[in-house]
Amino acid sequence: MPRVRFKNQGVDMTVEEGTTILDAARSAGLSIETPCNAIGLCRKCRIMLSRPEQIAGIVSLGPPFTETDGTHGDVLACQSAIYGDVELLLENYADKNRSLRILSKGHTFSYDIRPFISKRFDGTHTKIIAGDEIVGEEDGDTTMRLYGIVIDVGTTTLVSSLIDLVSGAEVAAESAINPQSAYAQDVLARINFASKNDGMYILHKAFIDSCQAMLSSMSKKASIDLEQIYEVVLSGNTTMLHLACGLDPSPLGRYPYVSRLRGDEYLPAVEFGVSPFGLIYLPPVISAFIGADITSGVLASQLAGLPGITLFIDIGTNGEIVLANDGTLSATSAAAGPAFEGMNIVCGMRASSGAIETFKIAESGDSSYSVIGGGDAVGICGSGILDVAGELVRVGIVDKNGRFAASADREPLKRALRKVEGKPAFFITDEVYFTQHDARQIQLAKGAIRAGIEALLSKLGVNANSTNRVLIAGSFGYHLSEESLLNIALLPRHFAGKINFIGNTSQSGGIAFLLNADFRKSMRDIVKRIDKVELSNEPGFEKLFVQSLRF
Amino acid sequence: MTDMTKEELHRGLADAVVNMDEATSARLSEEAVERRYDAFEAIDHGLAKGMETAGRLFEEEEYFVPELLMCADALNAGVDILKPHIKRGKQDIRCKIVIGVISGDTHDIGKNLVKLMLSSSGFEVVDLGRDVPPQSFVDRAVEEGAGIIMISSLMTTTMEGMWEVVRMLEERGLRDRIKVAVGGGPVSQGFADKIGADGYSPNANHAVRLAAELAATLA
Repeated sequence: MPRVRFKNQGVDMTVEEGTTILDAARSAGLSIETPCNAIGLCRKCRIMLSRPEQIAGIVSLGPPFTETDGTHGDVLACQSAIYGDVELLLENYADKNRSLRILSKGHTFSYDIRPFISKRFDGTHTKIIAGDEIVGEEDGDTTMRLYGIVIDVGTTTLVSSLIDLVSGAEVAAESAINPQSAYAQDVLARINFASKNDGMYILHKAFIDSCQAMLSSMSKKASIDLEQIYEVVLSGNTTMLHLACGLDPSPLGRYPYVSRLRGDEYLPAVEFGVSPFGLIYLPPVISAFIGADITSGVLASQLAGLPGITLFIDIGTNGEIVLANDGTLSATSAAAGPAFEGMNIVCGMRASSGAIETFKIAESGDSSYSVIGGGDAVGICGSGILDVAGELVRVGIVDKNGRFAASADREPLKRALRKVEGKPAFFITDEVYFTQHDARQIQLAKGAIRAGIEALLSKLGVNANSTNRVLIAGSFGYHLSEESLLNIALLPRHFAGKINFIGNTSQSGGIAFLLNADFRKSMRDIVKRIDKVELSNEPGFEKLFVQSLRF
Repeated sequence: MTDMTKEELHRGLADAVVNMDEATSARLSEEAVERRYDAFEAIDHGLAKGMETAGRLFEEEEYFVPELLMCADALNAGVDILKPHIKRGKQDIRCKIVIGVISGDTHDIGKNLVKLMLSSSGFEVVDLGRDVPPQSFVDRAVEEGAGIIMISSLMTTTMEGMWEVVRMLEERGLRDRIKVAVGGGPVSQGFADKIGADGYSPNANHAVRLAAELAATLA
């Protein structure tokens, strides 16, 4: 049997002939990112051989290796079957993501503190009350020791807060990469992974382990016992909630896209290692593709109470859009695909160190940019990609149809406009560039969300220019500029000056659910009344989508 | 009327399609009819040639979906005028193709684009729509006497259904008479190989070439 060594991690193992590098890594508990679900498309699982000649012991499951694969010594982990001894250089996942931007704060509002869990001291014991029901008893007076947790379960990141249920204050916070993303990056890939073999078990366990680590770190920071935590609110998209609860998410991945969770429900919280009387609360779920994270956002932004017309948009791989018209809500989700996360973009990467995050072209034609972590640029992350596309459209390097111009009017732009494999591209540095192909990917992604917005507006018979305000929620949206969103026409020009970035409202709304139990009923009623629009069933949607592709 | 030769008129028709110019396409098609030029030739050597160029530009990413659709509108403006004048027996329909989105998935914009390119290249396309069960692909292909089944999916979670189509064809002993081609966002050549499909296409223009290749192996 061939011997496999992961040098940086000190792992030395033998595997069956034909095992892929990816499977070998996973069986050793090592993480390799596979955004495309290991089908050899995204090339993000590249791994280095410490001795390039050992490529002789690897058989490619995809296209045969070329000369350059051999000399550079990097292969795709998911497409490389091992037949001979190999030594591999795997970057530590944690190192790679240490600098990943995570947004933990979101817009909120003022409300009374009336948590679901309360305590009553009877002179000798303290009764623990959930709603109206006594669920347990502790010795002595513990009424001042009452805590809850909110976890924003994002597809990519986990954000958690430890909240004092007596004062309402956040006493500690912690965030982490969602460990499930190492197995399958996007929502659909994760549903797929969960449906195979012990996939569900692996994903659920990874999530629980990571939560336990966050909880224990927070309880140390705040010097409290985990036993003093009585409620855990999980705010997240519908798929993440299924996986967090250990529920099979496969119905979400197939038409008619049914969610087995309706939310506004309680489950025991034993797995989190909190008080034995602890409960999980799941806020109401809107639909299979519009989850509790959006419900939390609707609560945090007080959307249903706003006068006039408000659009709430969470921009991401799946863009969720809620339109409020004087308290009447309709919602939809648009499949934008992973381009905003830097996937399918030639020089795209996640928002971690080395990523260009902002970009601007001056009057002179000179361009400037900023890099996360401040070092040399190695790629472009989502916010940077939107800036680049927006600026190129603004200065006319890319036209309204998304086509690169043959030439530029200003000298610095002329120099930046070069060809890559015969096709036009714009060079930001000598290594980092934006191509015609990238422009097409951005058109598809932004077109999906724009079409969703237009569909909701037209269904309600509202014009874009009568919209009073636009709320951009979510961590990705928070890092975008109004300018770029308008330049690439992800949002209509009419929205200029009306756009507010409200941050991680999944988290801030989750905290509101934790601190005031009255919202649980009121939001359940609001969610029930939301008109859920399935875009693919809307007549004329295809035409709308095609129109929305224009910059 | 101008004094264009037949070849110049054909070139004009092709250019009208590439330039997304419906009015010119219609005007030149009428001219072809008035001059009693062969209508089939005007389509085949003129309009269809233009669509071929448009498809190539799309594959090279110079043109995008909206442009391709406008080219198709220009093509159809001409075809509508010329078609009634095609002499009987000249319409040689290429191989019949059954196309659809696999069950569980309702995203059909990509499939519609492939269908458009196939029909403007002379294939007869039977569109089963979206959320189509594997069994229906096989049954309809048999009923229609189709030589090729083309299946699309945008969702990783539904791709297994494509495999099922291949397996059903094998079970029914139809595998060498009906070719299977797959495409869509999460689909790759590697996946096509894995499930034993006969081809994979990364875009709508390539799909036309693939269909022609597969049709040739059937003849």
